[in-house]
Amino acid sequence: MSYWEMFTWITVFVLSIGSITVFVFFIKDIKIILEKFLKGSK
Amino acid sequence: MYPISNIDYFIISIYLTGMIGVGFWFAKKHADFDDFFLAGRSLTTPILITTLISTYYGIDVLFGDTQLAFTDGVVAWFGYARPTYAFFLIAALVLAKRLREDRFRSLPDILDSYYGEKTRYVGAITSFIYSLPALSLYGFGMLGEVILGWEPVVGMLVLGGIALAYTLTGGFWAVALTDSIQFVMMCLVIAMAFPFAMNFVGGFNSMIELLPKSFFDTLGDLNVFLIIIYASTGLSVLVEPTFYQRIFAAKSYKNVRNALIIGIFIWGSYDWLITILAMSAKAAVIKGLLPSALEPDAALLTIVIAALPVGAVGLFISGVLSTEMSTLDSYCLVAGGNISYDIYKPALNPKADDQRLIKITRLGIILSWALGFGMATLFEQMLGLWVFLASILISSTLAPVLLGLFVKKFRKPLAGFISSSAGLISTIILNLYIMTKGNFDVSEETYVIQWFGIDFLQEFVMYITVPISLAGFFIGFALNERIRV
Repeated sequence: MSYWEMFTWITVFVLSIGSITVFVFFIKDIKIILEKFLKGSK
Repeated sequence: MYPISNIDYFIISIYLTGMIGVGFWFAKKHADFDDFFLAGRSLTTPILITTLISTYYGIDVLFGDTQLAFTDGVVAWFGYARPTYAFFLIAALVLAKRLREDRFRSLPDILDSYYGEKTRYVGAITSFIYSLPALSLYGFGMLGEVILGWEPVVGMLVLGGIALAYTLTGGFWAVALTDSIQFVMMCLVIAMAFPFAMNFVGGFNSMIELLPKSFFDTLGDLNVFLIIIYASTGLSVLVEPTFYQRIFAAKSYKNVRNALIIGIFIWGSYDWLITILAMSAKAAVIKGLLPSALEPDAALLTIVIAALPVGAVGLFISGVLSTEMSTLDSYCLVAGGNISYDIYKPALNPKADDQRLIKITRLGIILSWALGFGMATLFEQMLGLWVFLASILISSTLAPVLLGLFVKKFRKPLAGFISSSAGLISTIILNLYIMTKGNFDVSEETYVIQWFGIDFLQEFVMYITVPISLAGFFIGFALNERIRV
């Protein structure tokens, strides 16, 4: 496996695991924010 | 047009319906202008990461990088994409901190605060022109044509119209929420596409063997001046209006800093993968798997659609649409804000209440969309259009914004006004001159004009206009001092 290929697989890992992790934390935050937002708009 | 199964169409339809649903869900839920335009200044790190990344990745990156990678190889990442990360790091560690010290709402707000109302209007016009969603609409036209067999205008109207609808109704909350869904989709589909594309061309080593050696040269065959110009378009990050909007919308500086530092790794990975995918498309052309007449900016779409199985194609297309929509919605919103908050309120109706401002912002969004549509049908190639828009923003705002932010004694009205006006006017004149008097060079993929025996490319305009803006700044500064004396 060349260095180019190795680097590419690392970026595949960063992109897939990274985006899922960020999204999980996003869901956690957005729940709290939307609850506040809906209370404020009522 | 590619054969797309009903399952793929079903997935795309669900995605598009969902985006409109989010916009309508947020409609009429905004308490004030800050809620509509800055999501109540409450964005946390994960939301900032998703909205920053998905907004910044639009047509320029997806097709600009792809175009360069298809014709020149890894230089697309090393020369075009990578320098931007350095600017993001500067923004994370220095710029964002300074911007959070005051309660600004927009880029022209900063200019107004340091140089007065006249400079605010120049900044608002610049930001408005830069934010016109021409690139995204052009991309929708191309996507519609390549994927669905539509006329480009139909793609622009239908796909661009959906993004317009949810931005109009939902404001920044809808933009931030849809950006987050779009972020995951665009990252996952690109990561997923890589093994399929490698399988399609016979493996990574086979791709290396098929491509010319220069494709793995980090500087490629590109003209060094062109590399410098491509790299310096990354400077726009330092004065990018949608980027500023997210800094102002964040809960705290710490959230922005963390989001940008984490984001750099995701940005880098995404850029690298689309570079490799475009190179694999080139290898597939050499091998005879894809048509030899394949256009460079259609390389990514073509290879991925050819390589992916049924169902995954629908996800990929939704991911590509996400990339475009997340950019279009953000820029339209900023342009709308330029009209309402930066021009209408201070110039025409200082007593306008928040509901009135939201209404004018919506009209501004429609105006920006319509003008972007006009531009998208005028320009011949996207890298040139991106450089044109970036050069307008950089030439007009970089010097006055950064000098004003960091050097208190430079905050003189004439300095800011002359610098921003000279930068804006000179960039527009030079670009229009080159585009009307010059010729479109197919090999360089840009407009070229002969000046003093030298081939002057449209991309070189910033070499002239940024120094003009800088000179204007110091001339204005000196004049201001003289008037005071």
